Amino acid sequence: MSFPNEPARRAFLRSCALAAAGLVAASGASERLVAASRFWPGPEDPEVPNEEVARILQQLSGGRPIRRAHVDLDMPAVAEDGRVVPVIIESDLPMTAQYHVKGVHLIVDHNPDAHLAAFHLTPALGKVFISTRIKMKRTTWVRAILETNRGEVWAGYTRVLVTLNGCG
Amino acid sequence: MWMMTQHIGEARIKVPDRIRRGDLITVNSIVSHPMDTGFFRDAEGDPIPAYFIKQVVVTYGGEEVARFEWTSGISRDPVVSFTLKAEREAPLTMVWSDNKGATFKQSINISFVPS
Repeated sequence: MSFPNEPARRAFLRSCALAAAGLVAASGASERLVAASRFWPGPEDPEVPNEEVARILQQLSGGRPIRRAHVDLDMPAVAEDGRVVPVIIESDLPMTAQYHVKGVHLIVDHNPDAHLAAFHLTPALGKVFISTRIKMKRTTWVRAILETNRGEVWAGYTRVLVTLNGCG
Repeated sequence: MWMMTQHIGEARIKVPDRIRRGDLITVNSIVSHPMDTGFFRDAEGDPIPAYFIKQVVVTYGGEEVARFEWTSGISRDPVVSFTLKAEREAPLTMVWSDNKGATFKQSINISFVPS
């Protein structure tokens, strides 16, 4: 499941998403969609986490600073079917016995179960790379939180527009 | 498509055909499971209880190399891919456990081609 020309593929998909956003805006579709399209490609900072997400972040970080770096959270800008949304989490952090990422947490802000998954890793994996598919209830921020064996906490955020509720 | 599965718990693991010692390989996996959230109702209006894979344990040559904790937010027929440093010829085993206590196991042998 690898694509020989990954950057080009991603650039193409991104341009498709932007074109779709333009079409929606131009055709005078529902106000809600037009309002939503203003988020493309998304504000730089996620909105303030809701109470549940704030609690999860506090529990994961134990009060340590959560810094936004070293995490590549790759998701589509638009998810047409919230039942199946692809996620790829990667990091440039090393995976050695001395210094490695030991946990990857996936948080979807407005899902019923916001702390969607935890991936506990070891240096034997050689690299931080996780690819899976998730459900999303509605348009929201998605957060990938990485914890290293030295106790640092790194984060990557992305906003995904969901057009079909995948959670019921 | 190699990933098509039919019965609950039927699982596949795929690794590259030609692996040399020291390669960083990508492991692809799928297990067939409904991953019901518990939020839906069936045609008769009765709630469908939550039924999902909650844990995946990955071992390589008997050593645990990864452990995933999931909720029903993972999509139906869960796929997960990850990398592995192919350091030795040994079986790679994955065990999926669901919230009803069932476990599903699949293994694949990591063996090297001459470099």
